[in-house]
Amino acid sequence: MLTLLDQLDKGTLWRSPGGIHPPEVKFLSNTTPISQLPLAQEYLVPVPQVGENCTLAVKVGDKVLKGTPLTQGTSIWHLPVHAPTSGTVVAIEPRASNHASALPVNTCVIAADGEDRWCELTPGSIELSNHEIIAKIHGAGIAGMGGAAFPSHIKLNPVSEIELVIINGVECEPYISADDRLMREYSQDILAGIGIIHRLLAPKRIVIAIEDNKPEAIKAMQQAVSHSTLPTGSTRVTVIPTKYPSGGEKQLIQIITGREVPSGSIPAKLGIVVHNVGTAFAIHQAVTQGKPLIERVVTVTGQNVGKPGNYWLPIGTPVEHVLKHTEFHAEADQKVIIGGPMMGHALPTIQVPILKGTNCILVPSSQEIGTTPEEKACIRCGECANACPALLLPQQLFWHAKAEEYDKAASYNLKDCIECGCCSYVCPSDIPLVEYYRIAKSALKQAADEKHQAERAKLRFEARIQRLEEEKLAREAKAKEAAARRQATMTSTDKNAVAEAMARIAAKKAAAAETTADNTPVEVVAADASSTEAPKGKAAVAAAIARAKAKKAAAAAQGADEAESSQQAVSSVQTASSEPSEPTEQSESLSQKDKVAAAIARAKAKKAALKADSDANGDTDIATDNTDKPATETTANAEVDDKKAKVAAAVARAKAKKAAAQQAESSEVTEVLPEHTADAKPESTNDSDDESGNKSSLDAEPSASLSPEDEKKAKVAAAVARAKAKKAAAQQAESSEVTEVLPEHTADAKPELNDESGNKSDSATDLNAPLSPEDEKKAKVAAAVARAKAKKAAAQQVESTEVAEVQPELVADAKPESTNVSGNELSSATEPSASLSPEDEKKAKVAAAVARAKAKKAAREANANSDANE
Amino acid sequence: MSTMLIAVILLTLLALFFGVLLGFAALKFKVEGNPIVDELEAILPQTQCGQCGYPGCRPYAEAIANGDKVNKCPPGGTATMEKLASLMGVEPEPLNAEAQSQVKKVAYIREDECIGCTKCIQACPVDAIIGAGKLMHTVLTADCTGCDLCVEPCPVDCIDMIPVGQNLKNWNWRLNAIPVTLIQETPHEEKRG
Repeated sequence: MLTLLDQLDKGTLWRSPGGIHPPEVKFLSNTTPISQLPLAQEYLVPVPQVGENCTLAVKVGDKVLKGTPLTQGTSIWHLPVHAPTSGTVVAIEPRASNHASALPVNTCVIAADGEDRWCELTPGSIELSNHEIIAKIHGAGIAGMGGAAFPSHIKLNPVSEIELVIINGVECEPYISADDRLMREYSQDILAGIGIIHRLLAPKRIVIAIEDNKPEAIKAMQQAVSHSTLPTGSTRVTVIPTKYPSGGEKQLIQIITGREVPSGSIPAKLGIVVHNVGTAFAIHQAVTQGKPLIERVVTVTGQNVGKPGNYWLPIGTPVEHVLKHTEFHAEADQKVIIGGPMMGHALPTIQVPILKGTNCILVPSSQEIGTTPEEKACIRCGECANACPALLLPQQLFWHAKAEEYDKAASYNLKDCIECGCCSYVCPSDIPLVEYYRIAKSALKQAADEKHQAERAKLRFEARIQRLEEEKLAREAKAKEAAARRQATMTSTDKNAVAEAMARIAAKKAAAAETTADNTPVEVVAADASSTEAPKGKAAVAAAIARAKAKKAAAAAQGADEAESSQQAVSSVQTASSEPSEPTEQSESLSQKDKVAAAIARAKAKKAALKADSDANGDTDIATDNTDKPATETTANAEVDDKKAKVAAAVARAKAKKAAAQQAESSEVTEVLPEHTADAKPESTNDSDDESGNKSSLDAEPSASLSPEDEKKAKVAAAVARAKAKKAAAQQAESSEVTEVLPEHTADAKPELNDESGNKSDSATDLNAPLSPEDEKKAKVAAAVARAKAKKAAAQQVESTEVAEVQPELVADAKPESTNVSGNELSSATEPSASLSPEDEKKAKVAAAVARAKAKKAAREANANSDANE
Repeated sequence: MSTMLIAVILLTLLALFFGVLLGFAALKFKVEGNPIVDELEAILPQTQCGQCGYPGCRPYAEAIANGDKVNKCPPGGTATMEKLASLMGVEPEPLNAEAQSQVKKVAYIREDECIGCTKCIQACPVDAIIGAGKLMHTVLTADCTGCDLCVEPCPVDCIDMIPVGQNLKNWNWRLNAIPVTLIQETPHEEKRG
């Protein structure tokens, strides 16, 4: 039993299945030596040619020399392309491609300057390492010259042990003689190239395979081998019988070694690498002379070419130029075929370039190729199966491809079809079988691509879902952490903050109590007057009392009959009852200044009550007796305020919710208000007046910007509102301190109140002013919130229209200071929005959206309120 | 008598043995979820476009497994519908005309008009849009499934759905085929009349 190497040395050949013997027409072109054509005006160099991604190394207008790289790439699959001649880059634009589709591809158009000057070349030497040689081959942009244009440096960088290198000089296509001429004229150079391949791959044997229809080439190569410096016995020329398609890589391996390359595998798995003779020549040029692959031998043949033969054509030469200089004469329905008659493709246009894999331009006369005969039905003769070199069943493939059952065609190993055209050649029914296979192949490829993309999309979708989930968890954790931190800081701050929060709740409750008392303010006055006796400046106590108020309201109403209670007291109580409701209703979304204002107003109310109390004190003994106890109770409560601090945040939030309900009640109260306050001091109404005035004046804005809603925004707005409510609690603490001092200053309530209202507006604007420059975003949000408030107010206004109608008159009666206040507030409210709108359109949009969302919510709440009212 | 008894006992024992065996197998080889859903999902094009009325391809696959119609996937086209129908063993139902003439599209952002609102980024089910707040966004065309979901949220309408063009990679040889026109044969009766 002989080993494979022994059999190789003996020149044993195996029979490859199938194949055909088409008439040889190589005589047309193989008699004349390879010659040059004059330079073309323009060269069309597609970028990139091999490999997907690269960057252009030149730009339009650049001067390039022959051999200048036009592209740079990092991928191992990328092959650089080089300028085929010296000249100027005149355009980089999509041009028709050398492809059956002629679809435009990015092309670098170089206008030749006629000098054809080489750039500086760096010839290599024998000292180069293997790695350097491969880098040089890669840099020279050498692709397989047989037609497939596979990057050669990859095939020269073996991943497995290579035993056998086959140099393919078979050239089985009936018309092409480019390799034939190259072997005849440049056998020494080819051998030098083979030497480099031998060095890189270190195979046990190198076989140069040549078909027996090229005796001159065989002779030249045998001579070159005998003169070469390669180790004796390692290289031999093997002559193989002429048969199409022996030149196919897999077919050639089968002929030389008798081994079949498995489906879906590569020859390197068998320890075999096949290189074309043209590639060997180009490797020699690149390594020893440093010349990049910028020209190749192309057979220009066919009976319609006046000067058929082989030509050195620079890569990028337009086919049109080649045909012009080879005395091409066109006939009707002239076909120009790139590649051989068996595997080539007809060009839709001749304005396309020569590529690295272009080995032939065939311009046949109508006698040579003939018209495509009409396709007839398949008679299932089985000729195609006999001819198929890949041992496929072409008739079955055709059957399924025609029925568009591509998956069934794939199950008949369609992918192993090499599209050699043997089946079409032998078909008695003239069925263009290869066309069907190409369609089926492209459809299968597309389906595979879609499937791949669907998988990618699914992965990305799942990754996104996971990411969103993680973000959500992170956000929750962060919020929790922030809440814990806030709680920690809360306990350490002044207890007054808590007390104030409690006071507000109490005030609300009082308001509720008052409404249950149903328009008997006098009773509440009594309760208030008696309860407010206790506080001595301590906010905590005040809060406690406020709470106590609610409880006592009923008892006080029963026992006391203070009709004589001063009207001032009445009014003050009214403000006390109406105001807490308003600030709380606002506090859910109100800006900080309003918070302060509300606090001040409440403090005022308390003070007023205090004053009234001194008047009514004598009359309401029972009430005072009653209030003493709760007062002390609540001071005790104040000591345990630590716990309440925690509650404060929750309370603030609760406030926001309750506000709606409160509003229903307060609107009733405010309805009553005008009647009482008509006689009473105007100051008391000022507060409510201001706010309602604000509301009505701002009413127009939001309604104008009211437009389609957004749920997300609404959510965001709600979050902002809640945050504000919390912040307000803290603010309240500070403001209460301020207002606590006030009572000591003045004995007379009237001017003092005015001052305060003035202060109020000042502080409001003061607070606002540092805010807006401080942070743009916050300002925006604030503006949006302010606008939203206004809208909400408008909604509320709808309910309490009666109030709104009465109030203008009251404003007229009221002191000018109070109107000033409202004016101030108005301006402060509108200021930020005014300064915003020119600032940034986008931001304004965001703000508007937030405002809109608020408006929506307000409307909803208003509806609920009105329902509650009814 | 005893033989009958033996037979009864033997059969009872056998029944018990196999009962235990089956019970054990049911626990040991329990299949989580409905495996048909995975198969259905593999057929769907994974555009996650929601045109079927479900939030993504998997929910629709689950719905089909629970008896929903198979013709609700416009991106998949007729081929997908047929595959779904054959897998579910139901009659293929035609998609609506609009869905049938659907060509693959990818989103394209007119970058000079983009205001950087990130709304499209949030809408994209496959994270194929990159960009940041107040910065220009762009679509990774290789990852775009053409689901249209980013078009709606764009406040400045700067997103176009552009059909994927032909290139050398996806070129179909069929495009060069000569169009065949079918000539209708007119009945003889009409000619006479």
